[in-house]
Amino acid sequence: MTRQEVLGRKPLRVLEKIRESLDKINEKMEIMIELHKRGRKEFQLLPDAPLDVMTLLSMPDHLRKTAMTVCRLGRATAEEAAKQTHRARAVESGYLNQLVIMGHLKKERVGRKAYFYTEKENQG
Amino acid sequence: MIVLGMSIAVHSYKGGTGKTLFSINLAATLVQHGKKVCLMDLDFRAPSLTTFFGAEKAECWLNDYLNGTCKIEKVLINHSQRINEGGKLFVALANPSTEAIRDMSAKDRKWEMRALGRLLALRNPILNDNGFDYLILDTSPGLQYSSINAIVSTDLVIVVTTFDKSDVEGTKRMLHELYELFEKKTNIIVNKVLYDVSSKSTEKDMQNKITEMYQVPVLGIVPCFCDVSKAEGAFIFTQEKPSHPFAKIVDEMANRIEKNNSM
Repeated sequence: MTRQEVLGRKPLRVLEKIRESLDKINEKMEIMIELHKRGRKEFQLLPDAPLDVMTLLSMPDHLRKTAMTVCRLGRATAEEAAKQTHRARAVESGYLNQLVIMGHLKKERVGRKAYFYTEKENQG
Repeated sequence: MIVLGMSIAVHSYKGGTGKTLFSINLAATLVQHGKKVCLMDLDFRAPSLTTFFGAEKAECWLNDYLNGTCKIEKVLINHSQRINEGGKLFVALANPSTEAIRDMSAKDRKWEMRALGRLLALRNPILNDNGFDYLILDTSPGLQYSSINAIVSTDLVIVVTTFDKSDVEGTKRMLHELYELFEKKTNIIVNKVLYDVSSKSTEKDMQNKITEMYQVPVLGIVPCFCDVSKAEGAFIFTQEKPSHPFAKIVDEMANRIEKNNSM
């Protein structure tokens, strides 16, 4: 690898790091906004709120679409869900975190990516 | 992954509208058209396909698959010999024992959530891995967990209704408050129609009226045939009496479904 190539890669890595950090900040802000809306001070998962069809029926349309997508995929990142719903990744990420706070979805981080799922068993 | 087949739920607001009759006869007609069809009994409160197909060959029930205790392949029974010619027919039965019905009625929300996951997960193994063209789910009437799970997990819902006033009102409500929320592609069959629809113009008028009433496409209008009632579900009507007007109407429905699927 030439010196020029090495130098060319460094800014890319830095940009990647910045994007990663911005994603994390964005996610934390979404959670804070949602907690504020619900009058809760700290992040605490609701004990058990299974995502059954009756719960899906009682949800507002925008959340139902997101929840149905995760049910269908079994396990999905915000990007994967956004591809299915044809909405922006940031919007989808907001809805997914909202569903996590409501106790309907679970969230797990694997490296840089955050995965959303209903139950371990249903992961595809 | 491209899935070429289609999953269909046959549902109704009220009981006794003819869901099972159409599920069986549509499945048989599609098989006669050379298709590979999988018919499943999702009416766990009143299983009916066992009476029709017999339970002798059942290694596992659909209940076991939803309970997570067996694979779907163990539930499928080959009944292709019941059809004169064409493709293949496989059937998955619900356990008709009182104990099983009681057990299924007592499931909690968490179980229903898992059942939905398992029904959603059925599509690819059935339509892709096992090469079925159609997966038909015969459901229980009304807003039961098992039927809504079936509605949510399929590509097309066929609603079987009658001109009974309470059925019309209930079906309208159900279309608006359930199917629309899940953005379901829906077709309607109006069964036991007492008007004469033998002429094309009367049929067309009625079709327009029904479409206007329910705001969904009409798959078929079926007159009240005494011969069908007299058969008491003892045989596959379209198989035994292929020249009967009922068989012809079901054949047209199957053609519409196939056309729908190829679009």
